[in-house]
Amino acid sequence: MDNKQGITSLADIKDGQSGIIVSILGGRILTKRLSDLGLNSGTEVKIIGRTLFSGPIQIEVSGSRLVIGEGLASKIIVQPK
Amino acid sequence: MTGEKKINIVLAGQGNAGKSSVFNYLTGLHQHIGNWAGKTIEKREGTLFYKGYTIDVFDLPGIYSLTTYSVEEIISREFIVQQKPDFVINVIDSTNLERSLIFTLQLLELECPIILALNMLDLAKKKGITIDFNKLQSIINAPVIPTVASRGKGLANIIDKVIELKEKKPDHGINRYGKEIENCIEQLTAFLQDINLPYPARFIAVKLLEKDSDITKLVLGKKPEILEKSRQLCGNLEEIHGQDSSVVIADERSHLAAQITREIEKITKKKEISLSDRLDAITTHKIIGYFVMILILGGMFISVFSFGNWFSSWLGTIFKDWSDWWNSNVGNTFFASLGWAAIESVLSLVQIALPYILPFYIILYFLEDWGYIARISFLMDHLMHRMGIHGKGCIPFIIGFGCNVPGCLACRIMESKRERFITALLVTFIPCSAISVIIFGLVGKYVSILWAMGLYLFAIILVYIAGWLSSKIVGGEPVELIMQMPDYKTPHLKTIHYQTWDALKEFIFIAAPVVVISGIIIQAINLAGWMQAISSFLSPVTVNWLGLPAITGILLIFGILRKELILVMLAAFLGTTNFSDVLTSQQMITLAIVSMFYVPCVATISVLWKEFGWKKTLTICILETLGAILLAGLIKRILDFVF
Repeated sequence: MDNKQGITSLADIKDGQSGIIVSILGGRILTKRLSDLGLNSGTEVKIIGRTLFSGPIQIEVSGSRLVIGEGLASKIIVQPK
Repeated sequence: MTGEKKINIVLAGQGNAGKSSVFNYLTGLHQHIGNWAGKTIEKREGTLFYKGYTIDVFDLPGIYSLTTYSVEEIISREFIVQQKPDFVINVIDSTNLERSLIFTLQLLELECPIILALNMLDLAKKKGITIDFNKLQSIINAPVIPTVASRGKGLANIIDKVIELKEKKPDHGINRYGKEIENCIEQLTAFLQDINLPYPARFIAVKLLEKDSDITKLVLGKKPEILEKSRQLCGNLEEIHGQDSSVVIADERSHLAAQITREIEKITKKKEISLSDRLDAITTHKIIGYFVMILILGGMFISVFSFGNWFSSWLGTIFKDWSDWWNSNVGNTFFASLGWAAIESVLSLVQIALPYILPFYIILYFLEDWGYIARISFLMDHLMHRMGIHGKGCIPFIIGFGCNVPGCLACRIMESKRERFITALLVTFIPCSAISVIIFGLVGKYVSILWAMGLYLFAIILVYIAGWLSSKIVGGEPVELIMQMPDYKTPHLKTIHYQTWDALKEFIFIAAPVVVISGIIIQAINLAGWMQAISSFLSPVTVNWLGLPAITGILLIFGILRKELILVMLAAFLGTTNFSDVLTSQQMITLAIVSMFYVPCVATISVLWKEFGWKKTLTICILETLGAILLAGLIKRILDFVF
């Protein structure tokens, strides 16, 4: 288990780890888009994996998989579990 | 009296929920079923005759939200409010209930009669999910019907329900937001009663609070004073919640969806690691994933080439003696030779194009139905960003290898205008199957397979450079990738069969008439003795700069109709398909390069025109033609040293 309990961005948590979304640092359209896909504050997100370098991240949200770009993931603030 | 027996229904739902399967099953019109989110782009229409009713079915693009974001969503929303269908069938992915319900709640706000089709119930069962339909039905006050569209299960029940409820359409419950939001909605609807827009007042009020740009524009045209009021209300909400008002509403809506889901869904068994997950771990692996991708795509092109080569020469032996038969039985008068030109064009098309296109489509649709294409988007995202677009751009690219026309149309899955344009521009550089016919049939067969592969690589590098350049010229930041990752599923052979047949049929119906007409014209020009004049007019470019035989000038003009005509006509005109008799290796390579990159074919041009207007289209055509001629000439000079 990780000892760090501080909030961090989704891009910064490890593969296989989960976190609960605290907030989304983005404009109206982005927040709306993520919300339509089920990514809201309070949602639990699990990192499945990513590609080489700074590629996109594969995540699991309420039983289904999504792929989101790295830059986007860094705007999603989570509390690691 | 006949009007009474007519019903209109619309299929709406999020990408990947299986709408297209429902549509195919109902109408028997075998259209494209994709395995990635938001694949169905055009509105599709079909008719079903059932129990004495004529039921028109419309298939809307897969959408996530009714707050406008991409073109598809605007199309869908406008369609529902303007066409006023008798029923909207909301196709729901049962394995993704919570997310699907967010969309359902928005549909309810449009106040149209809806029926819920809880689709993919078999997959949900596999994941250990059970859903209480009756409870869902009573919560939203709309009929809920369980379905497995891929096997046609439950779809007749939907239609029965439609007929049953035709006369007495249900009054659905409308989702209630929190007190402050309801208060704002109430204040706004009071002003909106007499606005005379096709949308329900409550819907407009909600969208104004969500700052939806389209609705705001509509209201501005009718009663601009309302906007002042809504701005003030949005401000109030933002003050209370400390967030943008649109986010506040979206949040409430998704919490409502989550709450409903909790009430009706039970996940009984812990999800075990499925085969799909294991396969996913390999195919999306940081390193192994790329090897698998190269293996799969490489294998695809090698099998297309080897099968095509074999099939093409087999067909050649069959058609060998037909020309002699025609000459001795029909004769070689002016009209007889025109007739033979027409037949020979078709035969060449069958012999040269079909053998390569057929396996390409089969393999492409297999990969798509299996779910692999989405993995390619994931793996390629990083690389695609360098070209100023995100990973989903791979989808139009791969389709473009089959045909640039659906490739350019598939660019609509890109979110912004900027990305759509860049992606479409790059698709025109992708060697489509018609160009592959030239690459494989000319360079692959008579120079070497390595050179053919090299030309592909060259095209890909050029796409990369063009992408990098155009994103610099067009400017702006690339939109980030957001995509649903479908589970792997057993490819459905029937689906692959239909998709391949459709694509092939389209190809034959578009190509054959053009090929026959141009075959006759070229033969008529030849018989009239004008060939020389046209050829020599173009010879400064074709002969002096490109080092090709003068006849290629005419071929390149016909190639604008369809690229494979360059090869088909070359065969027809020279009376041989053994091109090594008439062209040297460097001529074949030069001709292939010009054919690959000069002006897109007419069908592609017409799509570009429709999507981006004539100015951009004309610019693309002129720049690409000049660029291709310049490039091919330079490469010819390099090749002179090689051969």
